[in-house]
Amino acid sequence: MKWLDERLHVSELMASLFDHPVPKRSNFLDYLGFATLFVFISQAVTGMLLATKYVPSANEAYASIKALDSTVAGEYVRSLHSWGANFMIVLVVLHLLRVFYEAAYKKPRELTWIAGIILLIGTIGLSFTGYLLPWDQEGYWATTVGTAMAGYVPGIGNFLLQLMRDGAVVTGSTLTRFYSIHMLVLPALILLAFLPHFFFVLRQGMASTDELAEARNRGEDITGKSIPFWPNVAVRMTLLVLLVAIALWVLAGIYPKGLGDAADALNKNHYVPEPAWYFFGVYQLLKYFPGKFDSLAMVGLPLVFMVVLFGLPWLDRNPSRLKRKRPVALSVALVIVLGLAFLTYQGIASVPKPLPNTVVLHPSYTQNIAPIFQSKCISCHSSSSGNYALDSYAGVVKQNVVPGNPDGSKLILKLEGKDQPQMPLGQNPLSKDQIQTIKNWVQDGARNN
Amino acid sequence: MNDKKQVRLSRRRFLSLSVGSVGAIMGLGYLGLASDFLNPPAANAAPLQEVGKVSDFPEQTPTLVSYKGAGVEEGVYVVNLGSEGWLALDFHCTHLQCGVNWVDAANKFMCPCHGGVYDIKGNVLSGPPPQALHRRKILVEGDSVQVGGVLS
Repeated sequence: MKWLDERLHVSELMASLFDHPVPKRSNFLDYLGFATLFVFISQAVTGMLLATKYVPSANEAYASIKALDSTVAGEYVRSLHSWGANFMIVLVVLHLLRVFYEAAYKKPRELTWIAGIILLIGTIGLSFTGYLLPWDQEGYWATTVGTAMAGYVPGIGNFLLQLMRDGAVVTGSTLTRFYSIHMLVLPALILLAFLPHFFFVLRQGMASTDELAEARNRGEDITGKSIPFWPNVAVRMTLLVLLVAIALWVLAGIYPKGLGDAADALNKNHYVPEPAWYFFGVYQLLKYFPGKFDSLAMVGLPLVFMVVLFGLPWLDRNPSRLKRKRPVALSVALVIVLGLAFLTYQGIASVPKPLPNTVVLHPSYTQNIAPIFQSKCISCHSSSSGNYALDSYAGVVKQNVVPGNPDGSKLILKLEGKDQPQMPLGQNPLSKDQIQTIKNWVQDGARNN
Repeated sequence: MNDKKQVRLSRRRFLSLSVGSVGAIMGLGYLGLASDFLNPPAANAAPLQEVGKVSDFPEQTPTLVSYKGAGVEEGVYVVNLGSEGWLALDFHCTHLQCGVNWVDAANKFMCPCHGGVYDIKGNVLSGPPPQALHRRKILVEGDSVQVGGVLS
């Protein structure tokens, strides 16, 4: 230490990092940024490990991941990386909300906030590009749909889409492109944004320490109100990191990241794509927008959102950091957060649940029958389809079900294909067991049970 | 006196301008390289590939064939319209690009994701798709049916 100190004056540096006092009421939520940093480091390490086994080529990517998954350590590292991506999104958003709630983006910390928004974009970009890399059906079609959204940008949409895919459709060239963005471009961007983000916090101190600085400037003695960063606060930070780490390690162990079928650009098995959970808000929002306004939901809203995030320190001109003096900012944010949470919940709830794959002798409408309709039928047969609606009990029994007589019910004939065209149109028919379950329900009187 | 002062100033200015422009030119050079690398291939540059014989494609029945793209097979419906000629339709729905299915019984293309429906020529009949299915280059030479890139 002395040797280093003579040359680089590290003790001054260390003092500036570790010696500052922190208010006694220091909150665990103030350490979310630190927890995010931990998960990012975990992502970097597991990512480097994955890169030693992964083959970035459309012909070999899937097989290389499959081979990796066949070893215990390989599967665990991949699960850590996949769970880590979810943790990153959650922690980054919580960190952002906390900073917003504490009004820590206001003068003099505007630049820290801007760097943070760049980090948020980098994180989302990493999730999006990482999704494609295993080259399974999930990643292939999520990327196809996700990049198709860029096509809705007015004017340059088609160019953007082709730029992202390196061609008109998602191909091996897209994989190579995403791989280099995931491995090189975005990590470099994140590093470039992280350095100032972190440096500014060291230089200015956390917003919560401002009150101490003010008190000291007034000549007050602050020893009674504060605890030293080192080691008191550092221990609390470490505790939070440990908590997050254990959650990550345990979840990755209990719920390993599975691997779906290999990507099939011809989609012979009629796989219907769904987005990652954090995109479910947008996914659900799209359902509420009539076709013509799709571009508004896909391009307009995210753009407005980004402008607001970047411009927040200047849009919000209220200098006060007191919660009761920021009613507008806090309530607008609350509405947005609740809205997003609601949309995400709705989106996730609308995803089909696993369906019965054995015959149910005396099925219940809500337990056994409605889930089949919900996953296979209502994307077309919603309440707007009049006598053919299948999204409510009233719609189902309105016309095409004869209680007690399955073979006389048009619903059954359509499902069996005895009445052409067979339903669901353009997809694989329901399994025999599912059709038999619906028949049993009609036989029992088609009750709303 | 005045002249000298001007000369001194412009010398400073010249040097700082030189530093700036050398930096800018170097940066532009790399930017140029990057844009050349990232620029996607032209939409209809994909070469023609044989996807079957004329007899493989019955009239009025779109048939899904695979065009060997870079690392993936690209789904193309080849439509033999008889006297009206031939069409090659990209099988991605124009809404959010799920793969559409040809449903014989309904005589329509259906998209499983959000319920887009197209007729045999790829025109939108209902649902959210903003435009017709994209067409690809198609060439029938003797007995050989060949498909090329997407026409923009």
